[in-house]
Amino acid sequence: MIGWFAGLSFAAPLTLLALAALPAIWLLLRVTPPAPRHLVFPPLKLFAHLQPRRETPARTPWWLTALRLLLAACVILAVAGPVWNPRAGDDAAGQASAPLALVIDSGAASAHDWARRIDLASRLAQAAGRAGAPIALFATAEAPTPQAPETAAAISRRLGALAPQAFAPDRLAWRDHIRAWLQAHPGARVAWISDGVELAGKPASRQFASDLTDASGGRLIIYGDAPAAALALAGVVNGADGLEARIIRPAGAALGPAQGVARALDMRGLPLGEGAFSLASGEVETQARINLPIEMRNRAARIDIVGQQTAQAVTLLDRRNQRRRVGLVTGVTADLAQPLLSPTWYVDRALAPTAEIREPRMGASAAIGALIDEQASVIILADVGGLEPAMRQRLEAWVRAGGVLVRFAGPRLAAAAGPDGGSAAGDGAHDPRDRLLPVRLRGDGRSLGGALSWETPKTLAPFNREGPFAGIDAPAEITVRRQLLAEPDGDLPGRTWASLADGTPVVTARRDGEGLLVLFHVTADPSWSSLPMSGAFVQMLQRIVAMAPDTTTLERPAGENAGQNAGQNAEEAGEDAPALARPAALPPRRILDGFGLWRDPPATARGVAADFAGRASLAHPAGFYGPVAAGRAVNVLETGDALAAIDFSGFEARSLSARTARELRDPLLLLALGLFLADCLATLLLGGGLWRRRLGKTAALTALALAAGLWTAASPGPARAQGMLNTPQYQLPDSWRPPGQPPAPTPRARPPAPKPPSPPRTAVNGFTARDLDAAMETRLAYVITGDAQVDAVSRAGLIGLGEALAQRTSFEPAEPAGVNPSTDELAFYPVLYWPVVAGRPAPDAAALRKLDSYMKGGGLVIFDTRDAMTARPGVTTPEGAQLQRMLRTLDLPALEPAPQDHVLGKAFYLLDNFPGRYSRGQTWVEALPRRANGERVPARGGDGVTPVIITSNDWAAAWAVDASGLPMLPLTTDGHDSEERQRELALRVGVNVVIHALTGNYKADQVHLPALLRRLGQ
Amino acid sequence: MARVRAQAVSVAGVLAPGARGDVAAPGAVERARDLAGRLPRIVLEARRVAASVAGVHGRRRAGVGENFWQFRPYVPGESAARIDWRRSGRDGRLHVRQREWEAAQTVWLWVNLSSSMGFRSSLAMDSKAGRALTLGLGLAGALAEAGERVGLLGAGQTSGGSTALERLAGACALQLRETGADQPDLPPEVAVARAAAIVLVSDFLNPPQMLAARIRALAHQGARGHLALIADPVEETFPFSGQVMLETMDGAARLRIGDASGWGEGYRAALARHRAELAEIAARWGWSLTLHRTDRPASEAALRLLSLMGAPVTSRADDLRARGSGA
Repeated sequence: MIGWFAGLSFAAPLTLLALAALPAIWLLLRVTPPAPRHLVFPPLKLFAHLQPRRETPARTPWWLTALRLLLAACVILAVAGPVWNPRAGDDAAGQASAPLALVIDSGAASAHDWARRIDLASRLAQAAGRAGAPIALFATAEAPTPQAPETAAAISRRLGALAPQAFAPDRLAWRDHIRAWLQAHPGARVAWISDGVELAGKPASRQFASDLTDASGGRLIIYGDAPAAALALAGVVNGADGLEARIIRPAGAALGPAQGVARALDMRGLPLGEGAFSLASGEVETQARINLPIEMRNRAARIDIVGQQTAQAVTLLDRRNQRRRVGLVTGVTADLAQPLLSPTWYVDRALAPTAEIREPRMGASAAIGALIDEQASVIILADVGGLEPAMRQRLEAWVRAGGVLVRFAGPRLAAAAGPDGGSAAGDGAHDPRDRLLPVRLRGDGRSLGGALSWETPKTLAPFNREGPFAGIDAPAEITVRRQLLAEPDGDLPGRTWASLADGTPVVTARRDGEGLLVLFHVTADPSWSSLPMSGAFVQMLQRIVAMAPDTTTLERPAGENAGQNAGQNAEEAGEDAPALARPAALPPRRILDGFGLWRDPPATARGVAADFAGRASLAHPAGFYGPVAAGRAVNVLETGDALAAIDFSGFEARSLSARTARELRDPLLLLALGLFLADCLATLLLGGGLWRRRLGKTAALTALALAAGLWTAASPGPARAQGMLNTPQYQLPDSWRPPGQPPAPTPRARPPAPKPPSPPRTAVNGFTARDLDAAMETRLAYVITGDAQVDAVSRAGLIGLGEALAQRTSFEPAEPAGVNPSTDELAFYPVLYWPVVAGRPAPDAAALRKLDSYMKGGGLVIFDTRDAMTARPGVTTPEGAQLQRMLRTLDLPALEPAPQDHVLGKAFYLLDNFPGRYSRGQTWVEALPRRANGERVPARGGDGVTPVIITSNDWAAAWAVDASGLPMLPLTTDGHDSEERQRELALRVGVNVVIHALTGNYKADQVHLPALLRRLGQ
Repeated sequence: MARVRAQAVSVAGVLAPGARGDVAAPGAVERARDLAGRLPRIVLEARRVAASVAGVHGRRRAGVGENFWQFRPYVPGESAARIDWRRSGRDGRLHVRQREWEAAQTVWLWVNLSSSMGFRSSLAMDSKAGRALTLGLGLAGALAEAGERVGLLGAGQTSGGSTALERLAGACALQLRETGADQPDLPPEVAVARAAAIVLVSDFLNPPQMLAARIRALAHQGARGHLALIADPVEETFPFSGQVMLETMDGAARLRIGDASGWGEGYRAALARHRAELAEIAARWGWSLTLHRTDRPASEAALRLLSLMGAPVTSRADDLRARGSGA
């Protein structure tokens, strides 16, 4: 108990005396009951004399008292400023107020327990900050710069932003800066939060530690645990049948058994395969094999250890780990019509799945030059005999630099390699022993099992266990009928990779410089043997190709030698040589952070040379550099690296989880606040005020509103959606029309009108929510005149018409829209109802322009003067005058009273006239073309929709319904029809108008249907 | 503890149930208007009650009415004019034809609409005043249908027939409108005709001696009476605990109680005593006492009251005699 309290100290211990007041508080609280519930109780008037007998529960409930006492105790304790474990952080140098140099390793090895490190650093910084000591932060994976002393708050902010980097930190680069700071702050102490790991064989960390000790006068504390759980990947080998990942742990640490899974991912991060591994206790290295087909292996871009969130446990693969570029050259003029006879057919088929095949269609020498330029790592010569001397030299240099040259025998090679062949090539300087052949060849070779031979075709002997073809099954059905023979000499057995059953070599090879010369003593096609048709052939070629080096390593030698070349190829190569010789810098493309996640390249990342090799560093953090196809991967660890735990013996080293001072004031205050809230709630509950008082309801509503507001603020969904409506991506082209409308009508029979200016851009560009709404559903529209009564009737009328349409037709319009033609986009509405009100200002120019384009675009405007009652022949009513004023500047077609056979009367119902509220008024539509002589059709229509209908019958008033669906206004009949009949006819007029607007002259065309059917029948 | 919410509903609130007690007490005229608005519903409800108990109220007693009631054997000494000769000729014995006792009875109704009647708890179906009106008017309707004449005690007019219920309701409304909501919580001291029946519907939260004085005054005039005690279930049980502040409907009295459950025990005992005193007062004058809780349907109480009213009259003298013999 005492030991437990030993870790607690107070900044202001005297304040604790206030705890003595708690009993007094307790007494006070006991007698102060919570507010009573208010109850209305009528019998009280009779029983008011009944006095309560005991008052016990009127006291505060014990738990409420306890709550309040705890609250008071919390406040008192918080004011006393408690610090948990106060001395832990301060005794680094025996004094808390000494300046603190905080050195923190922020390399890849720190990532696996980064949060703990930052936590420790923050606590150290806060402890120093409490003592008022200046602090400096040195993160070893950052670019080394001089540091200024800062406050604990600033350090905390920096620590929050600090992230581990994907490389091993170069601590020694910081040494001078730290030393300078320590000299500027005498008496300073150093806390080094170390990742505890260094590369085996480069023990620079002890030097760093001793330098710090010296510079600080021995006031150094090292915090660091041996990172036993941290595994790292050091090298991935694209092996014969799987990716082999080498998993290492730092030697020297206490290592328990570990197991895990290594995983291969492709460039997009999709997992390709995985392999398990396990490490015995104390074991520092193991292999994880990820079994994958070669095609999948070539796609692997990243190997990592599942669950290890560090860049150390990631190995990126580039083209060096991927398939080689193989060049194919044949001396035979290939007959493309018979590909099976081509010598390269089988090689191509064997290697195509695993290698990139290049087969230049040109002469052998030119092709070889092109392949060397293309940085092929393997060149296969199928029966190529002599070469141009310059090209031969270039090829020899390429092989010495590391290229793999595979040659297949054939008549030409036999001719060129024979004892006489050398002179046949006409090259005096030719060494009889072809330097591009692994062995010396004998003459024409031999034929086995031919028609004139006694011998039978030979079979392959099993492959040599030590040879590169070990493990490949040599099928017995492979027969060799003809081969080139090697001169037997002492080197021959060592150079033989495969031989026939009688011991004569079939495949020989020889190292030449860095490169390799391989000779198949048979042809690449099946003319000499059946080897090219066997599966063993594929495996043999793949083994050979797998031995080829990375292509890029071949550039320089090729370039250097190119300068000596003569001829055209040499000239080209010579020009290219300087470019090839200068390794282009590959810019960083995707960089890992310390946790092994992708990030954008930091400012400190520099491009790497194309032949860069080495570990990641500050300038080159781990990641991909250069283009995708020919990029280069930089990893934290190189193949073959080993890790070692830093030996901290001799220094004061502590565990990361060392106790540090922790202030308890803020948690205590928070606790007190929570208790206070609980107390408020309890008081309310006890007093019943939460339910009874309207205040409570108001408070609850306020709280709800607050919560809703917070929620809304936290989720900007709707607001964003609102904003999106105005984004340009919803702009519609000017020519766009609503789907309910027929396409723009062909020119009508009317004098050519001047092209009206396009509608105002503002209306088109600024599509509003209202426009979208209008476009979502087809709806009827009316023009808002400003006369409230007229507008109400228009709206009610269109609602009534809409109901009739929905009942009777397949068109179910949405709620009608009131539009202002000068501001609103009209294109969404098939029909626009425009009641004419006398005395209103005429529509402005913008509205007229819009109206004009609306009508020309297939829209239908109904002008309703509503004056059939007052109109007298020869007298212009005010509405009529208003309409004339409105339409004066509008480009209207010629109008005529709707004829009997107009399609408007046939579109849905058969109508003779077009009554509304009145039945006497005339209805005007666009004049139809003259009827052809003798034509008798029941319905006529123009080419499209009549753009305008002018009526005086007040249609909307007849359509108008009130909220309950009953007619709104009485009708004025002319005595022929009853009011109901006239209303029905008016509705039919409306239906016809809308159907006409939606279907155009479809009904007029229908009259030709019998004729069409008759014609189809024939 | 049962969670009970007691709503403070004023008399106005009876009639407008949405109103809460903490709304400033509206003026008398306003309350009366509330009543006028609420009355039609109460009348409808009362009609339903009346219909459900129709037919219960018959006299089943011989009397001076016009309807045949029964034949009974002639008792020597009776007036010979009363012999029904036709019946007597059938079997040779003398029979007397009796008619049903059919003198129209006058029933005076009084409904307490004072402020305490506006109370309604969450356990109740209606406020006490609403229930009292429903019960009283329903009773009056049923009685009027059965041929009695009903009137508001103190209003002076009686009416009969099928429209009596509405007239009574109208009289109620008129009374409220004239006097506002400050209705007395005791029946008025008025003169009533002898042999009239009086129905008092109230919560009887009055001092027993004051109530006894009024009842004595009415009973002395020869009236028979029935007390219908309307009580809210919360008033019956007082299901509260903890610390409460009690107040009456009009806010005239307040009581702060530390331990409501403890006080409740005393309250229930006091209430039982009060009830006993009420019963004693009623029994003293041969009146009946019917307890009706507002969480029960009104027709229950109406049925009981009608049955009681149809029971043979026990005059005060008979009652006293019975008591004397019993004692």
